[in-house]
Parts: sequence; C-alpha cells; structure tokens
Amino acid sequence: MDAAGHGREEDHVNRCTVTTGFFVLGRCGRQAAASCGQCGRPVCAEHAAPSGVCPECLAAQGYGSQDPHDPAWARGRRRHYYQSSSHAYQDAAWYSSFDQYDRGAFNPGDDYAQGGDWGSDDDTGFVDS
Amino acid sequence: MFWRKQKAAIQRFHPLHRALTLEKGFTVSLRRDDWEPVIQSLARHTTEIRRRKWRLDERVPGALVPMLRILASDMPPDGVLSVAADMRGAELPEKKGPEVEMPVRPPVLGMHQWYALDPWLRMRAELRDGSVLELAVTDRVRFRRRRQRGSSGKVKIKTKRKTVQLVQVTRRFAKDAAVRRPGTPPPASVRVQVKQGGRLVVRASGKFREPLVDRAIDRILQVSTEPFRWTPPGTAARRTT
Ligand SMILES: [Zn+2]
Ligand SMILES: [Zn+2]
Repeated sequence: MDAAGHGREEDHVNRCTVTTGFFVLGRCGRQAAASCGQCGRPVCAEHAAPSGVCPECLAAQGYGSQDPHDPAWARGRRRHYYQSSSHAYQDAAWYSSFDQYDRGAFNPGDDYAQGGDWGSDDDTGFVDS
Repeated sequence: MFWRKQKAAIQRFHPLHRALTLEKGFTVSLRRDDWEPVIQSLARHTTEIRRRKWRLDERVPGALVPMLRILASDMPPDGVLSVAADMRGAELPEKKGPEVEMPVRPPVLGMHQWYALDPWLRMRAELRDGSVLELAVTDRVRFRRRRQRGSSGKVKIKTKRKTVQLVQVTRRFAKDAAVRRPGTPPPASVRVQVKQGGRLVVRASGKFREPLVDRAIDRILQVSTEPFRWTPPGTAARRTT
C-alpha cells in the first residue's frame, strides 16, 4: 500500500509539499529543489516558479491561469472553488479542511504522492495539477 | 480549393479534436495522460479555424476541457477517463419527443409543443482513491411552435425554446472506503441519493433554469461538491489496493 514506506523518515524534509489534485488532494512528493519565498514550503524543480513563489501562493495572489487548456488551470482554480462551494453549501468546514490540508506543509508524500517510488527519478507521465 | 489552409489544419488536429470539429462529438475511453495531446490540439483551434461551420461549440472550452483538467488531476496515470460528447444540439430528430397540440386563442392559429432530451456531456473517471466518478449534463428543451396571423394578414410561424439543464454526478466509493456523511445538508438546489452496499454510491443532482454556457462549469462543480464532501480533504479514503 505504501510504496514509499521505506526511508520515509530520513527523506521527508526534502520532498516537494505542493498540493496536487482538485477533489482528491495529495502531495507532489518529488525531490525538492527550492523553497517557496512566501510560505517556505519545499518545492520540486517542476513546481518552482521563476518568481520563487509556489503555485498555491501564486494562485492565492490571483495569478492563476484563466485558460483551461493551460496545464496549471485546475490548480489555479482550486482555492476559489473551495471558497465558493463552501459558501454555496454553507459548510465552513469544507473550506477549512481544504485550507488546513493545503497549508499543512508537513508530512509530504502522504496519500497520493506523485513521486511514487521515491528512489526513482522517473518523472514521466505526470499531469501537473 | 476553398478553405484549403483550414482543411489542412484540421487534418493535423488530434483525431478527437477533428471529430469535435467535423462531427461535433465523440465517444471514447483513454488513459489519463492520453488526454493531454487532445487538450493541446484543442488549444490551437481558434487561431487556426475561422470558418463558422467548423467553429468549436463553446461548451468545449467552457465545460469539456475544464472537466478533463479537473478529473485528470485526481486520477492515477493508469486510470481511464471516458467521455461521450455530443455538441450537435437539441434540434436533431432523434432527440425529439412526441409533439402535442396545445389549446390556442385568436390571433394564434395553432401551437405545437414538444420536448427534446439532449445529453451533451457524459464523463467517467477512475480516481486515485479508488472511487469512480460519473457525470452527466443533459439539456431538457421545451419547444413551442405557433402559427399566428400578423396585422398584415400574413401567417407567421415562431418557435420558442426554454431549457432546463440537469447535472448529475455519481461517485462510487472504493470498497471499505472511510466515508462519512457531511454534517450539513447540501443547498436546496442539489438533491442527494445514497446507495448502501459493498461499495457506497452517492449521487447528486441539480436542475438549472436557462443555462448560460459560461456558468456550466460552475454548475457542474456545484453539484460535484456533494459526493466529495463525504471524504473532505485530508481525510480522503485511501486506496485499498
Ligand atoms: Zn508558497
Ligand atoms: Zn512538486
């Protein structure tokens, strides 16, 4: 079940903690290459923006892509979605559970880490969310 | 001879993009990452195609592409995402229900009414927590065609349409998934049905009047919220395999 079970303890400091998915959230889990200049979370090369800010912080600043053909569109839309659906459903816990998950930058690689086998550098076939 | 450049461009499109352009629809099942070239091909459409006949229906960038992006982001690489898209419209004879004669008063000479059922988007996605999501967007269109004598004495025929959009989202959870009923009910516009069993199934449905294309994605997401509230972020049901 946990492909990455081995070596988790020593590894977890260096893993990208960017949130992936839209409804079924996970962590990126790939090897970190930098840290976000704003929230400080470790980010992998794929998720490191030229501005030095992680994708979630960029989206929070309103820099999310408006074009759904853009691979980053769903991620840019996610926080807005949880805000508006929480409002429509009058379910504050719905948004706060998202917010806590997204800001809780600890425990990288849990649930649905894209890194899969952490020892592997084979990063092909990822859908960037 | 005519439209040579655009015809050549269409030949270079991804086959599913070509089908959306020429046949206004397709039905296909692909693995998650095989959708990316389809989306990238669709992204080129407006810069390469001018001819009205070959324009993409606005529901393609408005609902289909966004939902492909969202569902793919929740899927494992080997997950299958199936799509049946039909952008041909509600006017097709095969979508038309029986005509009914309606009572009229002068100056109206006669009126017929019928309904058309237009299921224009169906998707099925195998998500990474082992659950399976199915969504269907169906327009139910009421047509009223009436004959009326105008002031000049000429008989005019007018057809009016009124649309109700039905959005249905069904999530079939993995066996033994950690699921709990949300603490609050959904908004009145969303109806929930639950099927207990080896695998719990939660179905949410919404009905929307006078659908606006630019709101379709919001409506799909609004209805989709309910089945996902059963596994809030961070407590998501893990894969059991
Ligand atoms: Zn950040
Ligand atoms: Zn990453």
